[in-house]
Amino acid sequence: MKKIAFIGWLSIIGGSTVYAQGCSDAGVCSIGNSFDKENSSKNLIETGSIYGVGEADVTYLSSYLTYSRAFNDKWALSAKFTYSIADGSFGTRGQFGDAYLISNYKFNKKWSLLSGFKFPFTTANAKINGYSLPLDYQASLGTFDLILATNYNYAQWDFNLGVQIPVFNNNKNSYFAEYSGTDDFPSTNLFERKSDALFRTTYTYQTPNKKFTFKPNVLFLYHLGEDSYENIFSERETIEGSDGLTINGNLITSYTLNSKSSLELSLATPFVVREIRPDGLTRAFTAGLIYKVSF
Amino acid sequence: MKTILSLFTVIVLFTSCEVEGELTRDIVEEEVSNDAVLRFTGTFNPTSGISGSGMVKIYQLGNAYTLKLEDYSITPGPDLKVYLSKTDSPSDFVNLGNVNPDLIYSIPQQVNLADYPYVLIHCQQYNHLFAIAALQSN
Repeated sequence: MKKIAFIGWLSIIGGSTVYAQGCSDAGVCSIGNSFDKENSSKNLIETGSIYGVGEADVTYLSSYLTYSRAFNDKWALSAKFTYSIADGSFGTRGQFGDAYLISNYKFNKKWSLLSGFKFPFTTANAKINGYSLPLDYQASLGTFDLILATNYNYAQWDFNLGVQIPVFNNNKNSYFAEYSGTDDFPSTNLFERKSDALFRTTYTYQTPNKKFTFKPNVLFLYHLGEDSYENIFSERETIEGSDGLTINGNLITSYTLNSKSSLELSLATPFVVREIRPDGLTRAFTAGLIYKVSF
Repeated sequence: MKTILSLFTVIVLFTSCEVEGELTRDIVEEEVSNDAVLRFTGTFNPTSGISGSGMVKIYQLGNAYTLKLEDYSITPGPDLKVYLSKTDSPSDFVNLGNVNPDLIYSIPQQVNLADYPYVLIHCQQYNHLFAIAALQSN
């Protein structure tokens, strides 16, 4: 039972969801999905690659690696690294994105609390051939974020409520739409991003032979303010319409390979998006293949 | 576990890339129109620790003004911008974009050049001033 609790633990911080979109770097978007609860290991490694279709003609291939460790039946820790390649009219640009360090504390079988930080590997100012690129081509937003969330489990339902708060902005992006040759993306010079709030509800269904698990979930994201940037006249300007609601639908299909590993296919798309999405996190569609192994 | 880490590393290495696209190709050096009239010139003075030289020229064609860097050889930096500035420090300026001596910079119509007597070369990412040119009327 204790071991099962460990895995339940890992499930909350190690579980991932393909994000399809609105949240900051998928920080709060990637919490709160169940893992193989029959498993009895303390360590979990998860790696995945996600194909995404973004704004204009941009496509993405994002990869990540997560290691999670349950120390006891109360505490667990998770570390995650991301890498992303964007391809479109500006060219192709690949970079490491962010690192996440997330801890989780479980109060009882139903409630748990998650807290952690996101650390960017870049300043969101990657260029191609000396040309500044919009945030849609950046692997990170360049913000150090605090992530707080809680999870409530009831029978086959999981409910997550969380926030992602940029506490230190190191975004040095220098993209101006005026000088780019296209109006597909808004100016994001020295971009400053507001916080996100998240609510997700997930239903888990497992086939009788326990080989397949289906986890449809709906993710509500609210961007808590309008982002801003410094315009060409060195004045800070808010980006009207950049706040508001995003609603994503996501279906995870998990196939149990053996008692220690599983393979997941995750498909996601947004139903409602914000009017203006300068952060480059919007995806029309994502499909991810994820491998999990515990030991 | 070793296999997973190795696989991740290999995937990352093989997919690490920077390839130019149709919006980021090299431009051929643009020439100022023969009809344009030279209105202002300035000579860059590098700041401490920076070397190189160069000139800036501002032309008028009709109601439009353009800026061109000439004989430019200031020390390269990671995120150098061209600023039209009200002072010799980057506090109140018009950001004309990335440094590119091949480029002719369009100056926005609403800019009154009399208010901007300096052109600065400034590294925005690290907030370091590289060079200052005081504009003189021709």
